[in-house]
Amino acid sequence: MSQQTLTKNAIETKGLGKRYRSFWALKDCSINVPKGSVSALVGPNGAGKTTLLKLLVSLSNPSDGSATVLNQSPSQKPEYISGIGYLAQEIPMYARLNAKEHIAMGQHLNDNWDSELATKRLKELSIPLDRPVGKLSGGQRAQVALGLALAKKPKLLLLDEPVAALDPLARVDFLKSLAHAVTDAEGELTVVMSSHLLADLERVSDHLIILASGETQLCDDVEHVLKTHKLLVGKRQNAVNDDKYTVIQQSHTARESTMLVRLEDIKYHDERWHIRDVDLEEIVLAYMGQKRDLADTMAAKGGTQ
Amino acid sequence: MNWLAWRQHRKQFLILGVILALYAALLVPTGLHFWHTYQSALSSCAQNPANPSCSDLSGSLFQSTIDQAVLHLVPIAILFLPLILGLFWGVPLLSKEYAEGTNKLVWSQSVSRRKWLTVKLIWMLAGTAIFIGAFTALATWWSKTSNVLEMSRFDSGVFFEQGIVPVAYGLFAVSFGIMLGAWFRKTMVALGVILGLYIAFAFVLTPLAIRPHYMSPITVTSPMGPDAIQSKIPKGAWVLTRSIVDNNGKSIGDIFPSAPPECQKIIQQAQVPGHPSTFKAVPTPGGGDPIDDCLNKAGFHQVAKYQPSYRYWDFQEIESGIYLGLAAVAVAATYWLVLKRDA
Repeated sequence: MSQQTLTKNAIETKGLGKRYRSFWALKDCSINVPKGSVSALVGPNGAGKTTLLKLLVSLSNPSDGSATVLNQSPSQKPEYISGIGYLAQEIPMYARLNAKEHIAMGQHLNDNWDSELATKRLKELSIPLDRPVGKLSGGQRAQVALGLALAKKPKLLLLDEPVAALDPLARVDFLKSLAHAVTDAEGELTVVMSSHLLADLERVSDHLIILASGETQLCDDVEHVLKTHKLLVGKRQNAVNDDKYTVIQQSHTARESTMLVRLEDIKYHDERWHIRDVDLEEIVLAYMGQKRDLADTMAAKGGTQ
Repeated sequence: MNWLAWRQHRKQFLILGVILALYAALLVPTGLHFWHTYQSALSSCAQNPANPSCSDLSGSLFQSTIDQAVLHLVPIAILFLPLILGLFWGVPLLSKEYAEGTNKLVWSQSVSRRKWLTVKLIWMLAGTAIFIGAFTALATWWSKTSNVLEMSRFDSGVFFEQGIVPVAYGLFAVSFGIMLGAWFRKTMVALGVILGLYIAFAFVLTPLAIRPHYMSPITVTSPMGPDAIQSKIPKGAWVLTRSIVDNNGKSIGDIFPSAPPECQKIIQQAQVPGHPSTFKAVPTPGGGDPIDDCLNKAGFHQVAKYQPSYRYWDFQEIESGIYLGLAAVAVAATYWLVLKRDA
């Protein structure tokens, strides 16, 4: 049984946490990311997205909990890192080296490296291979970095806000390249990509992880998320969690109440409510807003004491 | 990993290689010139010892401005080379990777951080040892004329410009630069710290407070009198202290207030009016100086402490050992900082 789950998920974390002095950047994070999925890791700035990805690629050490990535626990050993392609935030590269030299570097630092694939991809995108990467545009640099990460032939690709700094056209191009890579890998590649905007990732992802204030809010299949999250609209009444649903967000007018809820049973039905579908973006915003409202309330309480 | 280390740092090696070539171009001809001039002065003095300059070759040879400039300025390169490498090679090695985030790029390739660091350290530290070794070998060879002329290679100002010590200083400066770069991750902060640390430790603390104590110095005493103590100190020795001691064995700074009353009278007589520190010679029938005679009678004498010249290489080895030990500590700390701390 446990063997089965090991092979089904590319990433499993249990209570994973990272503390910087007294501040928890990531807390009690338990997620399962199925193999072959493309996950959107969303959350506001400072939610712990970068921290989570750095823990997964073993660039930092956890303060709490554990992680299993591609059936191994994170370590600095080559046999662990070789399975993972990673694109750090701000896309760091050696500004004075050109793309060709970066590909050569990968050749020297990896046993399983596909220089031809990387060169071919970049040529197709007509990115100048001889120009120092510091002189390329942001979009071109991101493409070079993606090419490098893919040349490693990873089983897992971790991308930390790869499109945040790109203009809209470069965003589309980048995601197109990514989608190509996923198709080419025929289910062998798992991708986790973070952003503070869902809109960036919605088109390419089939799995959703929501982080807010260092805590996991949701980790689920997109299709399932859409099935279990509904808007309940009815006569004004106080919203109460019950065993049928959990209230994520509510608003009230003089006569009407609206609640975004997570249903325990997708066949939920109640005459008091009209049940409506919601789109993914509304769900994400509701989760982020819930966390923020809670934080505001806590701050307000703290202020009056 | 070697490919990347060479690609990243080849410019630094090439620049220093060019500087080494320029340094050699200056040292080889001037070194030969100094040596040949000295040799021919020696042989002409052997034929004609009456020539007045033969009694004081160091005071008569190489007195032109340009010779003096070359003699004094050239060794300074060796004095500052370790610090310069610490600043320009050591500090940026890791601080630049951290600051630009490229450590995250390299550490997510299939190479362990340990191997990455080991290769980088080997390139930098071996490069430091080889280059400073070459510079110092040149300067040591070049200094042989002034060494025999002035017999001063043991002196504080010259000790760390020759021999094997500069290599150890270089490894110390570069490894501490690397370590501080990994610690602070900000190039400017690490530069400031290594600059202060190196100046304090290598230029001040070592020659003044540490080096004199490697071996217990030899102590000699002599009666008062001109050249009395100097004649007991062998040539080429590193003189640590010279002092006048009273009849109680207490070292005294100024003779006048401590001298017995009968000697004070003689001193006052000898003083040139209006210039209390100038004394006119007062010959006595015996040929000695009356002040010295009086002080000797009162039990005053001179004491000197020195390290003899035959300990020169012992001192070179001990000091190199200390600096290499510190460098090893810095390397160990660098491994800890890189492997244990988060990216």
